[in-house]
Amino acid sequence: MTRIDKTTTAAEKSRELEMFFGPQHVGMVGNFGIILTVEGDTVVKARANPGYLHRGFEKLMEYRTYAQNFPLVCRLNVMDPDPNEALYAMAVEDLAGLEVPERAQYIRTIMLELSRMASHLLWMWAYGNMIGFDTFAQWAMGDREYIIDLFETLTGGRIYHTYIWPGGVRRDLPPGFAEKTFEALEHIETMLPDYDNLFFNNRIFADRTKGIAVLDRDEAVALGVTGTNLRATGSRTDVRKDEPYAAYADLDFEVPTMEDGDSYSRAIVIRMEIEESISLIRQALNRIPDGPAWRKTPNPFKWNVPPGETYVKVESARGEAGFYMVSDGSDRPYRAHLRSPSYPTGIIVLEELLKGASLADVGHIMLSLNIAAPEIDR
Amino acid sequence: MDRAQIRKILKSPGKWGQKYSLWVVYFCTGCGIIEIPPVITSRWDAERFGVIPVATPRQANLFLITGYVSLKTLGAIIRTYDQMPDPKYVVGFGSCPINGGMYWDSYNTIKHLDKYIPVDGWISGCMPRPEAIFIAVTHLWTLIDKELANGYKRYKEEYPYYEENQRQVLPHLPKFTGAGET
Amino acid sequence: MIEVEEQQKNKIAANFENGEVTLPRKGRLVVTISKESLCSLLLFLKMDGFEHLSLISCVDWLGEGELELVYHLWSYQKKIHAMVKTRIDRESPHFLSIIPLFRHAQTYEREIYEMFGVRFEGNRRLIPFLLDNWQGAPPMRKDFDLRKYVKEKFDVEERAE
Repeated sequence: MTRIDKTTTAAEKSRELEMFFGPQHVGMVGNFGIILTVEGDTVVKARANPGYLHRGFEKLMEYRTYAQNFPLVCRLNVMDPDPNEALYAMAVEDLAGLEVPERAQYIRTIMLELSRMASHLLWMWAYGNMIGFDTFAQWAMGDREYIIDLFETLTGGRIYHTYIWPGGVRRDLPPGFAEKTFEALEHIETMLPDYDNLFFNNRIFADRTKGIAVLDRDEAVALGVTGTNLRATGSRTDVRKDEPYAAYADLDFEVPTMEDGDSYSRAIVIRMEIEESISLIRQALNRIPDGPAWRKTPNPFKWNVPPGETYVKVESARGEAGFYMVSDGSDRPYRAHLRSPSYPTGIIVLEELLKGASLADVGHIMLSLNIAAPEIDR
Repeated sequence: MDRAQIRKILKSPGKWGQKYSLWVVYFCTGCGIIEIPPVITSRWDAERFGVIPVATPRQANLFLITGYVSLKTLGAIIRTYDQMPDPKYVVGFGSCPINGGMYWDSYNTIKHLDKYIPVDGWISGCMPRPEAIFIAVTHLWTLIDKELANGYKRYKEEYPYYEENQRQVLPHLPKFTGAGET
Repeated sequence: MIEVEEQQKNKIAANFENGEVTLPRKGRLVVTISKESLCSLLLFLKMDGFEHLSLISCVDWLGEGELELVYHLWSYQKKIHAMVKTRIDRESPHFLSIIPLFRHAQTYEREIYEMFGVRFEGNRRLIPFLLDNWQGAPPMRKDFDLRKYVKEKFDVEERAE
């Protein structure tokens, strides 16, 4: 590690090189950039370069009615779209006082856990792509297709589902869905030992990532880190346990943690979460009650939500995703502010962890933090 | 045989080579990128069409603009497009490059991609399926055969039109010396 | 349990007389306080277990001529989400930065500066964040007409409203 001396001389400054990592880069997932200042092989300074995906989401939401916002919210984060639909639905239900039937809560749980698994498998592809391990990447993408096929059977869309609607879900489970899901989960479960042999127990992966970019629990909380990154420091926190939503209060699951808080631990926590998701989906499908899958919602053309404000949160694949909504009694949201888990990790945490890191480690540090660029820019 | 026929026969191997090795530059411009990993991996397998992703625009001849284009991304797209060697093809993926799509009233996304760079084909959908990419590739083959996919020639001939549109939304774009001179 | 929220409410009311505390539902606590006392209230809450800053929001109340800053804090032990709100003037908005309390507040304040025009004293990184070479007014303000701006800048045709 080089010592960063504030009084860098001209000779020292001339040894520094500024590089643009991304957005056009093979290892970059999503349209995100990091401006690295390197000296030799060590990163002296890193500055996150977001803004390539900024659409002014929050301003757009203020110009659309509550029904028109529904297909817009899932497009917030393309890698993990269902938690955002759930956030919007929960916020509107809170403000408008809508009840959700229990069957719909179970279906929402199934969708959210499937989305989490799809996001983790996409992360595995990105990781394999970044460090140059293509076998791992190809397997992960192939297995993710099982989950995407389930989404297509249920909602008609592969990526953007527009399924979780204020008041329930848009349609009930079709016949045969539970069997197909069990088959898909069984396939992924039988693949997990192969993934471990190939990658997670791989000595090279451990040697490369152990002890790199360590965060301890207090430092992580001080930097706003939530989700898998916080659980890798040993803190057993999860929005599904702290403030249960959907059907999580009735289901039985553990929150996996690791102790060291380094790049290796963060990757292992993501791997362990896949098993928990499989178990949760199985429980939800076995215990799902009968009943309606949605409540009658007001006329979408004339839907005025009573004035008020609310904050709701869910545990997305990356951490605590929150939604602060203010309504003024009209048919459009007055202010919709989305809190994304990648916001603190992608800017402040990334810049701090990359300072002094080796250039070869930049890729896996960035990926172990599981940053989704569309969430930061909105 | 007259000269036109000879020229046509001599061009065929070139076209055959271009068609069946359309290499895509790896640039995730928007949310459509989520369908690219399935396309380039084993289930949908773009390599049987000759399409593989490459790391740098210097080795690519297909630019897939996947999804909406914000103003900052447009600058990067123009620079990447300029770095690609001729002949090069641009395909707009998704409904956002066509007419703004879901973000038609956003203050930070462009509404019509072909005002800023020449586009040879469009794939509609939000999100298009992987099969739609393959259909677009086969359409592009037909266009290459008939020599209709000449966006790169149009860019050079009509550069003042494109430059004026680019400068309208990106006022800070640097002026390239020698632009517009034949 | 509603007791934890009641205890917290009483604690805040005992120490800050000019703060209005409400409990909208289980796990939520809303405090409205004057801008002079906000930072000491945030420090008080942070010392009391609210160690996680989720979000800093800004709401533009055009009719009242004020901007409202909302600080969202979460306590892992008590499982309470506190929304601490204050109002600042809309014409030349400025406020103190809370970076000494929560380091990652820097990014939220940077975004509020860019989108609403609020200067945060003490934040040395109020530089462009998401917008690139932006020439217009702060876009998230209510008097920024989105559709008019888009029509002029991108030269699009009329659409049915």
